[in-house]
Amino acid sequence: MLLKLSLSSMRKMMKDYLVLLVGLVISISIFYMFQTLALNSDYTKNNSMISSIQIVFNVGAFLLAFITIFYIFYANSFLLSLRRKELGMYMVLGAKKGKISQILFLETLTMGIISLVIGSLVGIALASGIGVLLMNLLEISTDGYYPFYLPAVWMTWGFFLILFIITSTINATRLARATELALIRAEQQNDQIKSKGIGAVLVAILGVILLALGYTCLHLIMYLQALGFIVGAISCTIGTYLIFISLLPVLVQALKKNKKLNDSKLNAFTFAQLRFRVNNLTKILGTVAMLIGLGVGAMAGGLAFQQNVNLFTSVFHVYDVNLHDPVEADYEALKKMNVLEQNTYRYKVDDKAYYYLKEDLLANPLLISTNSTQNYSADNKPKLVTDPLPKETYIISASKEDNGKYDAVPEDWDKAISANFINYQMIEGKSVLVVDQATYEKTAGSEHKVLLAQVDDYLKYTQELKAMDERQKQMIGSIANVEVKDVYTSSKYSTYAGMYIFTSGTMFMGFFLGIAFLAMMASCLMFKILSGASRDKDRYSMLRKIGVRQSLLVGSIYKELFMVFIFPAIIGLMHVLLGMEMFSFILLDPYLNIWIPTLIFVVIYAIYYYITVQLYRGIVLPKEA
Amino acid sequence: MSTAVLEVKDVQKIYGTKGESQSHALKGVSMTIDKGEFVGIMGPSGSGKTTLLNVISTLDRPTEGFIEIAGTNITQMKNNQLADFRSQKLGFIFQDFNLLENLSVYENIALPLSLQGVPSKEISNKVSKVAQTLGIEEILQKYPVQISGGQKQRAAAARALVHDPAILLADEPTGALDSKNAKSLLETMTDLNENHQVSIMMVTHDAFSASYCKRILFIQDGKLYTEIQRTGDRQQFFKQILDVLAELGASHDVR
Repeated sequence: MLLKLSLSSMRKMMKDYLVLLVGLVISISIFYMFQTLALNSDYTKNNSMISSIQIVFNVGAFLLAFITIFYIFYANSFLLSLRRKELGMYMVLGAKKGKISQILFLETLTMGIISLVIGSLVGIALASGIGVLLMNLLEISTDGYYPFYLPAVWMTWGFFLILFIITSTINATRLARATELALIRAEQQNDQIKSKGIGAVLVAILGVILLALGYTCLHLIMYLQALGFIVGAISCTIGTYLIFISLLPVLVQALKKNKKLNDSKLNAFTFAQLRFRVNNLTKILGTVAMLIGLGVGAMAGGLAFQQNVNLFTSVFHVYDVNLHDPVEADYEALKKMNVLEQNTYRYKVDDKAYYYLKEDLLANPLLISTNSTQNYSADNKPKLVTDPLPKETYIISASKEDNGKYDAVPEDWDKAISANFINYQMIEGKSVLVVDQATYEKTAGSEHKVLLAQVDDYLKYTQELKAMDERQKQMIGSIANVEVKDVYTSSKYSTYAGMYIFTSGTMFMGFFLGIAFLAMMASCLMFKILSGASRDKDRYSMLRKIGVRQSLLVGSIYKELFMVFIFPAIIGLMHVLLGMEMFSFILLDPYLNIWIPTLIFVVIYAIYYYITVQLYRGIVLPKEA
Repeated sequence: MSTAVLEVKDVQKIYGTKGESQSHALKGVSMTIDKGEFVGIMGPSGSGKTTLLNVISTLDRPTEGFIEIAGTNITQMKNNQLADFRSQKLGFIFQDFNLLENLSVYENIALPLSLQGVPSKEISNKVSKVAQTLGIEEILQKYPVQISGGQKQRAAAARALVHDPAILLADEPTGALDSKNAKSLLETMTDLNENHQVSIMMVTHDAFSASYCKRILFIQDGKLYTEIQRTGDRQQFFKQILDVLAELGASHDVR
């Protein structure tokens, strides 16, 4: 009988449970998708490129798990609070507490299992859709990647089942400790009207100061290092909470003090509701602001890293093509490209050293990048190396025997030659020398050449460049006697590809993590608002009685909740915009395309805002006759 | 000859849909309240007096019949019109005060005026005037939780009157008050009626409260049972009311 009752009441609160379910499904499915990548070591082993992402996804899964724990606890205690009265009534009617606890336990667990089933299915769909799409985007073979991967399923189920069992137990024990009367009277509490005085203003000022300090620390993170990050993060967090505790109530109070505004239409009521909310929701609003910051930050950070790859690559590489002993296929490929400049430099190799011909270098001096990651500007154009090379022999890289035998090459030349000619796997510890024509001719050993070229836009030719890189790897592999997959080339393309995969993985994870964060946070806010809705019911019914138009009431709801939603959004986005500065020491332009994550956030948040308004409206206002 | 502020004609209210178990809450009630009257509606539980109040206060629609308040037929109005009508022409006092506890007393009283878009300055004047009439100037800045039940009901009355409604509708206004506060409120209502020409319709089942009225309509089983007019002093009227109630009770038993 009791089970029947509980089922029917769950059905009544379908909407609330649905919101919880959606949050859980999002979390579970993303967790699962991360796990398919994080756990499938066979796959990552065969794709050396992707193994660097594996750690990213492990970190992502951990973060997600962490936040999900909070979410589940929060959401469950909300649902419990919704049903306290009903459960208390059962007890008054003589139902045993143990029995009710048992039912509650089963309910929570059932809910968890349902969300696990749906979540796993959605996760598999996500993995086979988006996961495979990612692989294709990164041009990584999907052989060995399974959207349906049993260890990931076990991991997901194991982790979440334990989580659900823990929360169910906590729910049940929490109920068991409450008395019947406390349960029934759960809702009958009046709003405390706390007056905010000068103290609040001081706290608000302190909050603003802490925020400013935090931002400054993040801004100066290059000098302050880890300390800056820790101080920045802590003072930003505390500052955020202080602002929500003090500044916001003071602001709303100021709105109310404006007599003209307050006396117009329903404003007095709207502001009063708002004041109550900002006073009661300080903690959750602060948390939401922080998590919006983290969520959007994860997305923006991931995106920024990915978008900066191209900039990065051009900092390190001036030449788009860099080939040792180009073959026919390489020339064919070059013909397809729009080559701006192309030069060939000769060298000889014997068993002791690499000898580069000085005259070739002087005939076509090399370009070097004038940018660095610390000091990047698009205006810093590459410069030609013009230092004269009067001596017979210079050394760039010395073997043990040659140490100290020759003069070092001038710095710019060293930079140019190291960046473009030397592959340390290839030279196998031999010296690298620059010699004049006479010495060059005297040197026995095989002659080779290296080709450098600049093209109009190397991103147009990634296919050809990739093929060239493969051929270079084959060649270097045979010289150095290493397996091809362990060969690293120093071409622009390989730098680009390596970073691109890593950063795309980061971006991909950042996006999903961000979305999961946002969805869970927005639903927390929503739960919190809805949990107070039944108390507001009387207020709205009274307003209707004295003749407030339905449209005005609905308008008031929209306005009030908009304010509640907008405050954490503003602070959270401010955190992102100012906090991204922190990446400027590793990223050339942390703000590249930041509008994309911002837009995603706004859309998700707006959807939750709309749903909250509709659900709230459904609770406090009867259907229009 | 005074003019009618409220006219109710053959009003029926049927709950439930046809074919199913229907209940006739009102079976053709007709009544008139003139401007400046203080009329009580009495009747046992389930007699239909709350339904009558609800259809008059436009919170519910009559199934059949015609209601006119201050010259306006309210039975044909749309929802928004009804809401506007309530906010402009009617004043309510409820048993449980129905003050918004998150607004100060001042804001509660000002609400009906704010809704009509009255300028802030004028609101301020009107609120202090009505607060003076009801003797609650001291508590205007307080919140409902900080004041007594009697004060709450006065604040509610102030809110009901601040916009000069055509008629004040009171639903068991003394129901949640102790006898001292109840008496004080009833005296205030009498004062409003006699000295400020406020028309009042009060629904009550308490004979003592009813004895403050000038005229009382008795309802039973959804129909008007009888009507008595106060001619002498209140004590006498009180006895008269008790007699009718006894009669009502007796008719119940006989049936």
